[in-house]
Amino acid sequence: MNNDLKTECLELLKDSHLAGRIDRRTFLTGLVLLGVAPHLGPRSARAADGQLVVTNWGGDAVGAFETALTGSYAEQQGIAVKIDGSGPTKGAMKAQFESGAVSWDVCDADPGATKSLGEAGMIEPIDYKVVDREKVQAGFAYEYSVANYFLSYVIAYDAKQFGDNPPKSWADFWNVEKYPGKRSLYKWMSGCMEAALLADGVPMDQLYPLDEERAIRKLNEIKPHIVSFWDSGAESQQLMRDGEASMALMWHTRANLVEKDTGGAVSWTYAQGVLAPSGWAVIKGNPAGSARAMDFIRYCQDPARQVDLLRTLGCGPTNPLAHDLVPAELKRLDCSSAENMSQQVLMDMDWYSARGDQALEKYLAMTAS
Amino acid sequence: MMRAQSTPVRRYAATGSLAMLWALPVILTLAYVLPFAGVTLWSVTRPELGLQNYVRIFTGADFQAIFFRTAWVCLVSTAITIPIAYLLAYYWVMGSGRRSRLVEICIFIPFWISVLVRAFGWVVILRNNGLASDVANAFGLGGLSTGRNVWSVITGMVHFMVPFAVLPMASVMRKIDRRVLLAALGLGCRPLGVFWRIYLPMSLPGVFSALAMTFIFSLGFFVTPMILGGGRVVLTAETVFVQMFQTANWGLGAALGVVLLVAVFAILWLSQRVMRIEQLMSR
Repeated sequence: MNNDLKTECLELLKDSHLAGRIDRRTFLTGLVLLGVAPHLGPRSARAADGQLVVTNWGGDAVGAFETALTGSYAEQQGIAVKIDGSGPTKGAMKAQFESGAVSWDVCDADPGATKSLGEAGMIEPIDYKVVDREKVQAGFAYEYSVANYFLSYVIAYDAKQFGDNPPKSWADFWNVEKYPGKRSLYKWMSGCMEAALLADGVPMDQLYPLDEERAIRKLNEIKPHIVSFWDSGAESQQLMRDGEASMALMWHTRANLVEKDTGGAVSWTYAQGVLAPSGWAVIKGNPAGSARAMDFIRYCQDPARQVDLLRTLGCGPTNPLAHDLVPAELKRLDCSSAENMSQQVLMDMDWYSARGDQALEKYLAMTAS
Repeated sequence: MMRAQSTPVRRYAATGSLAMLWALPVILTLAYVLPFAGVTLWSVTRPELGLQNYVRIFTGADFQAIFFRTAWVCLVSTAITIPIAYLLAYYWVMGSGRRSRLVEICIFIPFWISVLVRAFGWVVILRNNGLASDVANAFGLGGLSTGRNVWSVITGMVHFMVPFAVLPMASVMRKIDRRVLLAALGLGCRPLGVFWRIYLPMSLPGVFSALAMTFIFSLGFFVTPMILGGGRVVLTAETVFVQMFQTANWGLGAALGVVLLVAVFAILWLSQRVMRIEQLMSR
């Protein structure tokens, strides 16, 4: 599922920094945002008194969290905020809860996975007396998590080949006669079932609940043309940059980086993109207490901080008020702005919570057969 | 008890060696037996008491396909690894000074490089538009897909396992008394016959242990298929990962782990038997 999103964010941040696209200060801000800076590696952190442990997906996201979010929070509150980049997968969060020794306070987690765990009694419901429902894009303030940023599954394409008539839909992605070349999809399914159904003619507003069998049938059509079901964002970049694929479903943050790396030889579009949220979640029994965790979540709702995260990681704000603060050069990257959102489909995390696991098994059986 | 008559030094030695004797079983119990018992327990209690996880594994077409693919990939990569490793081991043991040293370096350098680095190395070589496809194009074999399929996975696995297969074979070959070979030659056997009728049978125990080791090793491959398989070569180890981390279906993941371990023990047991028979035959 999109558990790799944060790793991705972190890698993006690092790449941007190394490539000199963002300065060191912004880099560090980004690290703070992703909650990573206190340790510059995926070490495990254990929360104690006066300390908050924020868990994300490691890599560049650690620094980005620190820069945008945790650094200033730590300063303001006079506590230590550690970022653990080891990745709050569904299994890892479940393990934390069941071990009885929870060491994470706030997890940057998948809302679908969080909902399933929450319904099993493992997740603290979000306290909307502290966290402001109004500061979240409508529909993304869930019971067990609250959206902290957006990422979009978009079509990236070879602009040298298709620049005159770029693909505008997943139907174009599936059309290998009009758009020759290999394709690449995500190994962990998120976004791909949606893409298949859209390609098969399902209207954008009638996607959910996803027709799994129909999606798998459509995926089997494109499968012979798939060069790789990419596992990491870095792999998706490599496939496009080296021309191994002429089109790929990618995270828009990664697509944006390839576009820059290749000087525009690879481009991407929001057309029929699948906009997916990530969410803050608190495991029951978190060491710093739920009040502290909720306070941190509230802190991160600040529009300016969300724009910092957009700048460092390319992740779209979840607070609707943030979009007005986005500078012109970042407008395209702002996947959740009204203008960009109108071209996309919103991922239904309730469907992922209810059907995600079974559907993933079907999807993996498809990719592996 | 002997403690009463011991001098302090002897007492130290006695408790020291006792501690050493007990250390291994205790560590094994704590670090392996107990956790494994826990895993086994999970496999029959999660999500509820019963054998449903095992039923699922042995009746589900998806899992059967994964086991079948795993077995196939392991068999093929073992079958390729063994002859390559045999040649290398032979050259290493029987070759003269410098050449033997060169082979030694060729065996050990990859041995020390991380499996991750090696897998990415193969990606660079095998990927489409990569080195291998350029060479293929140069020889007029254009359009040959070299990367991100089951054959790239097998290539990566063979490359990883060859050194592991060389070592047991070489250690057996080293023990072969060269005077026996000389005697055979002296009695008029032709060189090829000496290899075929004397050297090969005498080196077979090494081949068998290399076989068992390679096959067992290959059953657990995780990183290599993940990186080189283009997401299409999902083997048993990765399936365990999916159940543990992606879907948090721990009972099923645990049951898969148990099945994998039972398979490993079965292969070990079988290879022990084969070796015993082999020893009986050679007498």
